[in-house]
Amino acid sequence: MNQDLVYFFSDLVQYLINGLAQGSIYALIALGYTMVYGIIKLINFAHGEFYMIGAFVGYYCLMSGMPLLLAFPVAMIGAGLVAIVVEKIVYKPIRHAGRIPALITALGTSLFFQYLGQGLIGADPKAFPEAIKSVTYTFGEVMITSTQIIIMAMTFILMLLLYWLVNHTRTGKAMRATSFNKNAAELMGINTDKIISITFFIGSSLAGAAGVLVGMYYNTVEPMMGLIPGLKAFIAAVLGGIGIIPGAVIGGLVLGVAENLVVGFWVSTYRDAIAFGILILILLIKPAGILGKNRREKV
Amino acid sequence: METVLETKNITMKFGGLVAVDNFSMKLGKSDLVGIIGPNGAGKTTIFNMITGIYKPTEGDILLANENIVGKHVALITQKGIARTFQNIRLFKDLTVLDNIRIAGHYRTDYGLMANILRTKKFHQEEKRLKAEAIELLKIFKLDGKLNHLAKNLPYGEQRRLEIARALATKPDVLLLDEPAAGMNPNETADLTKLIRWVRDEFKIAILLIEHDMRLVMEVCERIYVVDHGELIAKGNPEEVQKNPKVIEAYLGTQDEKEGKE
Amino acid sequence: MEYFSHLLLNSGIFIILSVSLNLINGICGQFSLGHAGFWAVGAYTGAAYGVYLAPDFLPDFVNLFISCGIGFLTAALAGVLIGVPCLRLRGDYLAIATLGFGEIIRIIIMNMDTVGGPRGFTNIPLWSNLFWVYAWVAITILVIANILRGTHGRAIISIREDEIAADSMGIYTFKYKTMAFVLGAGFAGLAGSLFAHANQFLHPNGFTFMWSVIILLMIILGGLGSITGSIVGAVILTFLPEMLRFMGETISEWRMVIYAVLLILLMLMKPTGIFGKHEFNVLSFLAKFTGKKKEII
Repeated sequence: MNQDLVYFFSDLVQYLINGLAQGSIYALIALGYTMVYGIIKLINFAHGEFYMIGAFVGYYCLMSGMPLLLAFPVAMIGAGLVAIVVEKIVYKPIRHAGRIPALITALGTSLFFQYLGQGLIGADPKAFPEAIKSVTYTFGEVMITSTQIIIMAMTFILMLLLYWLVNHTRTGKAMRATSFNKNAAELMGINTDKIISITFFIGSSLAGAAGVLVGMYYNTVEPMMGLIPGLKAFIAAVLGGIGIIPGAVIGGLVLGVAENLVVGFWVSTYRDAIAFGILILILLIKPAGILGKNRREKV
Repeated sequence: METVLETKNITMKFGGLVAVDNFSMKLGKSDLVGIIGPNGAGKTTIFNMITGIYKPTEGDILLANENIVGKHVALITQKGIARTFQNIRLFKDLTVLDNIRIAGHYRTDYGLMANILRTKKFHQEEKRLKAEAIELLKIFKLDGKLNHLAKNLPYGEQRRLEIARALATKPDVLLLDEPAAGMNPNETADLTKLIRWVRDEFKIAILLIEHDMRLVMEVCERIYVVDHGELIAKGNPEEVQKNPKVIEAYLGTQDEKEGKE
Repeated sequence: MEYFSHLLLNSGIFIILSVSLNLINGICGQFSLGHAGFWAVGAYTGAAYGVYLAPDFLPDFVNLFISCGIGFLTAALAGVLIGVPCLRLRGDYLAIATLGFGEIIRIIIMNMDTVGGPRGFTNIPLWSNLFWVYAWVAITILVIANILRGTHGRAIISIREDEIAADSMGIYTFKYKTMAFVLGAGFAGLAGSLFAHANQFLHPNGFTFMWSVIILLMIILGGLGSITGSIVGAVILTFLPEMLRFMGETISEWRMVIYAVLLILLMLMKPTGIFGKHEFNVLSFLAKFTGKKKEII
């Protein structure tokens, strides 16, 4: 076989692996975005900050010597609890004021956590402790690290858990009902306020998990780390069809792979523009996303 | 009589749902025609097709013998179809005067630069626009409230203002979507007179959708009855009232209504 | 004193930015989060004219005028390119799409070597001064206020009030949405050019999405839809951080946290801002005292 072709294919496989690892992270964050949008129609701009908070909780736990197996759930719960507090104090009062005020409030919350983090921790990136010895496996020209495997495996496990929770538990049923029609759900005796809080908790703990995984993957954490992945995860959610849980996973993976392919084969400096380009394309071609259905306004 | 508006077998499908099926009607010059039917029969969908908000899946809509299917909503208004809405869609935070002047926008003849530079033409046109608006509002007894915000008007006046605003686009055909909704019997009686009077004064054709049977029977010269998206009867009020299909459709909904409440 | 005039200059530039964003967001009701992008387009093209093209024999104010014209036109062109596809979207989707375009603009600039790329654009001639900045502020306000009190402005406002009703009144809403968006973008570009020739240095990171949010905060603080409000909002938010600076280093460091809290509190307590949709009008204000009412066109 032609040597160039071998290189091409090994490059391709390599980018796919990198893309899937990256995409898994986007997918984990996107799940929270999509769940919150599904239930209260809010683009929760601050979602990327919950991911950052998860990463920092994980960072401090590991620094204090806590084993990874414990630090991981603690980080998830930490991010989730912050989200519940934010939801109760900020989002709940604004819920009925319309979408744009709610969106602006979410923007404010996002800025608040970014700069609060900068003020408290400092803007410099912190080196994330090496929780597990990273091993690189090589197959011909293709490399895969143990961290990448952990990321993909953890993402897969968390998604299965979420799937089970949403489809096979009472809470999940209540979540689906609230998302479908909040008023009707309330009439059926569902405590929708509680369900919304739970949704925030679950979504943000998934983002917190992503934060720890990213810390392990890139070895650094910083207060501004949530901004770009947060935006990209939102794009992933829109790409898959916002409000649709499997859509977030598909969107995340597609975005991660697309980014890595473009960066690998073409230009690296436009990495962040790719996601926005994809977003604009999808909004113009099929605003409801890959799995979504188009709706029209009632006159 | 000369036909102003004609729909030929218009059909509207939303996915698998057929909201309106093969609906045909004719509206002559200064006709006063009603479309009635139970809730969800597809009446407003017919209006939305005529005004271009929805594009019919099939069929033609002729305005003065020109097919207007697929034309832009704004263009259809400019060509002479004006409407009101079931749930009043005034420009709520604007004044009564501005509501009317906005309807005169497309007939205003000055450009953006004239607007910015306040040319003579600008002042002339603005003066004309304002005078016309006031004249129209006088007819509707709203000229005392020129600078009131639309949202602050009482309900009945909001309905009147919406009709006045529609007329300010200088239509040949006026579509009224449940004009008596939410009105008490006195207001409805006034409205009945107003609708007749508008038709006579402006010499335009009026097509109205209404639930209030008394109003429809009293004011309309011809009536189309739709149910489940299909035309089930047409004719003058007496004919329609006697039609067994109509009675069945209405009694049916009467039961459903009671069941609901 | 020089420090104060620098602040005054900046607040003039932000008045243009906030009034122009208000035309899009507050008056036309199309929620854009990409204003920093248009600002950047105007700043970089205006600066590029100053660095590469401007003939020396022309007096500075003529060069500044040309630079502002270039800034306006290029940003308006960007407004057409972005507005035409995006303005079909509504509400929060439009916000995200414009945010995306704003960031794309910044990334493109980051990759352009002729304008310094990630190193920043240096040696931009100093042409802006208080007089010309405020002359442009006056022109901007006059133009936008005049538009608003004519038929084009009413068409733009009707879109905010009820787009479907506006369509049904014979108004090509898409045309007027685009008009508001393009004019808003153009004035942001003009502000960019003034900014470039005041600062003499530009960096792509000076035009991040955070700046779109700050300009947004200005118009929300003043009241979405009120031009007077935008002016007041812009002045407050240019001077506020500087006053915080006088209150000590620590408070100054927490500037953005304070902004964020302000934004949230504003939304929770007074989402209509200081002026709501209303204008502060000296004549009608005086009329309240004299008891006379002047008729307003």
